[in-house]
Amino acid sequence: MELAALEEQLRTLQTESLAKISAASSSAALEDLGSSLLGKRGVLTDLLRGIGSLSAQDRPKIGSLANEVRAAIEAALADRRATAGAAELTARIVAERVDATTPGPLPQLGSLHPIPETIAAIAQIMGSFGFTVSEGQEVEDDVTNFQLLNIPEDHPSRDLWDTLYLREPGRLLRTHTSPGQIRAMRAGQPPIRVILPGRCFRYEAVDASHGFEFHQVEGLLVDRGTTLADLKGILDELARGLFGPSARTRFRPGYYPFTEPSVAVDVSWGGSKDGWMTILGAGMVHPIVLENGGIDPETHQGFAFGLGVERIAMLRHGIPDLRAFLENDLRMLRGLR
Amino acid sequence: MRVLLSWLREFVDVQLTPEQLADALMLRGLEVRGLERWGSTWQTMVVGELLEVAPHPRADRLLLTKVRVGKEQVLEVVCGARNIAVGQRVPVALVGAVMLDGRKIERAEKMGVTSEGMLCSGAELDATDDGEGILILDSKAPIGMSMSDFLGEDVIDVDVKPNRGDLLSLLGLAREVGAITGAPVTYRARLLHESGEPVTSGLRLVVADAEAAPRVLLRVVDGVKVGAAPDAVQMRLKAAGLRSISNVVDATNYIMLELGKPTHVFDRAAVGSEIRIRTATSGERLTTLDHVERTLDVSDLVVADERGALALAGVMGGASSEVSGSTESVIIESAVFAPASIRRSAQRHGLRSEASHRFERGQELDLAPVAADQVAVLITAWAGGSVRKGQLDSDPKAIGVTRELAFRPARVRALIGVDISDTEQSTLLSGISIMSTPAKRAASVPVTRNRTVACEKGELLSAVIPPWRRDLELEADIAEEVARLYGYDRIPPTLPGRDLPGYQPQPTALRDRVRSYLAAAGLSEVVTHALVAESISERHAEPVGLVSGALALSEGAAVSEVLILSNPLSVDHDRLRRSLLPSLLDRAEANLRYGALSGALFEVGRGYGGGEAGPQEWTRLALVVWGNIDAAAPGAVTRIWALDEVKRAIASVAAIASVEPRYLPTQTGDSLLLHPGRAARIGGEGIAGLVGELHPAAPEWRDAPRILLAEFALRGLTSGVPAVQQVTLPPTTPPVQRDVALAAPANVLVGDLVGLAGECVTLAVSTELFDLFVAPGMAEGERSVGLRFTFQPAAATELDAQITAQLDTFTSTAATRYGTRVRGDEAQ
Repeated sequence: MELAALEEQLRTLQTESLAKISAASSSAALEDLGSSLLGKRGVLTDLLRGIGSLSAQDRPKIGSLANEVRAAIEAALADRRATAGAAELTARIVAERVDATTPGPLPQLGSLHPIPETIAAIAQIMGSFGFTVSEGQEVEDDVTNFQLLNIPEDHPSRDLWDTLYLREPGRLLRTHTSPGQIRAMRAGQPPIRVILPGRCFRYEAVDASHGFEFHQVEGLLVDRGTTLADLKGILDELARGLFGPSARTRFRPGYYPFTEPSVAVDVSWGGSKDGWMTILGAGMVHPIVLENGGIDPETHQGFAFGLGVERIAMLRHGIPDLRAFLENDLRMLRGLR
Repeated sequence: MRVLLSWLREFVDVQLTPEQLADALMLRGLEVRGLERWGSTWQTMVVGELLEVAPHPRADRLLLTKVRVGKEQVLEVVCGARNIAVGQRVPVALVGAVMLDGRKIERAEKMGVTSEGMLCSGAELDATDDGEGILILDSKAPIGMSMSDFLGEDVIDVDVKPNRGDLLSLLGLAREVGAITGAPVTYRARLLHESGEPVTSGLRLVVADAEAAPRVLLRVVDGVKVGAAPDAVQMRLKAAGLRSISNVVDATNYIMLELGKPTHVFDRAAVGSEIRIRTATSGERLTTLDHVERTLDVSDLVVADERGALALAGVMGGASSEVSGSTESVIIESAVFAPASIRRSAQRHGLRSEASHRFERGQELDLAPVAADQVAVLITAWAGGSVRKGQLDSDPKAIGVTRELAFRPARVRALIGVDISDTEQSTLLSGISIMSTPAKRAASVPVTRNRTVACEKGELLSAVIPPWRRDLELEADIAEEVARLYGYDRIPPTLPGRDLPGYQPQPTALRDRVRSYLAAAGLSEVVTHALVAESISERHAEPVGLVSGALALSEGAAVSEVLILSNPLSVDHDRLRRSLLPSLLDRAEANLRYGALSGALFEVGRGYGGGEAGPQEWTRLALVVWGNIDAAAPGAVTRIWALDEVKRAIASVAAIASVEPRYLPTQTGDSLLLHPGRAARIGGEGIAGLVGELHPAAPEWRDAPRILLAEFALRGLTSGVPAVQQVTLPPTTPPVQRDVALAAPANVLVGDLVGLAGECVTLAVSTELFDLFVAPGMAEGERSVGLRFTFQPAAATELDAQITAQLDTFTSTAATRYGTRVRGDEAQ
């Protein structure tokens, strides 16, 4: 082939290619064009196959012209690709648009029941003062539930607890968490700091503030030189932990056969509507109870307290009726997450 | 005990308002249940003076009165009662007043005369029991004053604790009020006049058992006229919450309220020549005042005559010797009985009376003669008659003794945590009549009932305990008195800063993580009854032996016997549950009734049972789920609770406890609650239980949604903290996966194949079921089971031969044991 004819073909290729490139409208078309013009089996490669028939001196001329043509086509392709790409991106963004302001599918959230949650809250507060949780048995015997707690048989103080008995003589459902005091003292050595949460049972008609099944948390600290003032200090902290920093406590004398002196504790806080609310009973562990727990009342003393979990949960969550806890209506429970 | 403030003031000079007094009592240890204005319903009734009383012009049975109810205000009132006269002051219900029975007083025409109100009887006010005549008031009653102001009473309801029987009396409460306020306490006994025959003529007293009845006194009053007690007495008793019976019986109750000493009166004519205090004979019969015939036994104490039992001592009198309208002469019995015996009798016969309540709490010996005298005085004052000379007294030497109780003021300080000096302690105690002085000699301090500590005189105060404080026995009792008199409010709070116990993990840590996970996964925690009905209990119980080995030791194992109450409140809650599932299902059903089309409940709770080793308790996690897992959203696929979704939740929970659950076929008798074709045992180390769909025959069953249940023991639920995992850093080479597809005959369980894979292919870091389907051309019931094994070799070629060997072992064992074949071996 003549040099001149090949040169002419290359120039024509350049002109026609540039026209095709500027007419191409999409990235895909440009991609196809690129490979059909410059690819291994493209037009340019095809043309250059004729180079073999040229003389040795003409070959470099065609070579450099071919490079020019390639460069021009590549530049045009790149330029056109950028323009088309931007337009395509814009079009895609428009096309892919959704309403991202819909609320989105809601997860079905579960919830934790206020009774175990209140127990967990108490465990956490008391845990920071070194108290560990210990869960005792709910089926008790008369000896541990009453007698070892200084509540003898045929004593009027038994009237404080209406008891559910099992058919097996001497067996009953614990009326309070206090028998755990005896078990905790017998199981360990002072210093003892435990809380004993759990279910209790009483022969009691059900109404908005009473149930025959309820929960208590017992606290017990036995050490050398523990005082009533220490009990006040700890219970102040517990009240603040449960009812917030504005909580105030009022301690007044109470009566429990297993504590001496005995204390009734009222609490008042920002959210309490009716002033003082009685939340727990407490006192210094009775020396007879210490003795029954295997602890020498001459060397050690301690305090104990017992609180009703339902009552605390009612006050904390504003639940007016204790029966709601065992009703387990999902509409209420799901509001408590 | 309901305390009338006006009555209390006869014993102690209280100037405080009822509210102030209630607050003061609260802070010093007397619980006040409430304050009440007795007669507050009498606001619209006023004191009126009868100006004219004339016969009604047209009706014989009526009187026409003019009654002045204010300076200028005179009303014309028609009256049906006959006991009125000019000049008397009477209660007048004004127009607009509402009576107790709901009747409203209106201006009404009665036989041609307009009545502008109503004159009231005592019964109409519920002030006395007299419904016949008009209540005649004191001649100085202020005209126009509301009846509520004139006759109303401030009543404080004091909750007397069982240890303070001495406070079940106005005198006892007066002492306490005196100690709090500093006001002096006075008790003036009424003067007794004796006359006529000696009490001993025709009457003897025999006390068979002085331990059961340490002191018994009898007095006799002759010539009484039994009738209604004076209006003022009836009103006091009513305000105090007691019924008025008759002038004679009211005298005993009046003195019981004043002194806390119950007494009893017998109709003399119904009693023979002897009063004998003895134990009942077995099978002896007595009809008590409530007209119930009771069968007695040898632990009952009775007051009897030579013929038989007259009264259940300390509890209730007998009908045969009841004082009646025809009684002319009465025997007053004033006794002290052993408290425990009275309590047992009262409990056994279901008879808790005001008297037994006081006897149970102990009685002061000294009050026996005082009460006998005072009742006698009041009977003669209210019912006439004369008191015979002398008294029969079983043991005049049985008198109240003051006890000495030595205590260490330093111990009191150590217990309270406040530096209250010896002198201050003495001063505080003297306020409640406990006199204490430094001990003159060494003495023993009672620390417990079994333990006394010998102390030198320098460290001791010796306290003299008055006879009515029977509750003060130990040093700690004195400490409580000092603390409460000092005032709990004055004790500064401190924090115990001594030895802390060594670190103990909170045993609830793992359980709390499980609970939080389940809540986050959409389940709601519930707390259900442990006491259930027989019908609930019988629906499902955990199979005995399902939980065994180490898991049974840590979480408890079910035993077979049901624990049943001997005194249930109702049959709905008469036994302890052996499984949580029926209780949870009961709550699921309730929520379905409330319209919860979907729901997911879980509980960590206990099952209970009895066995050879006595009562047992075990802790389980149970869940009941139904309906949709997620809330619906447009375009989103809603997941539905199905067996696989429950297994997903179980696997997540098990992972917290580092446990891998496996599923095994159920065994005969596992559960009546579960769908026999859609249930499995949960197995694996550290977990055991049941999972499945609710039996289609269950009453809660609807075609949709299906209800799914699971209950299992999980290692660490009661005692666990999450395990700290040991980690091997993964090598840089990628994991290798090898898939095995088996064609399994119809009766082969996937759980068994997975189990076998676990045994054979020990090099795998995980094994998952990735495929389970019926391929075209397979035999009837045959399934294709695809298992994907993941290995993590440290170098690309490492283990390759071993892996292949283990997989071969698996497929060949499966082939021989279960008849499977490897799919792909045959031409497809």
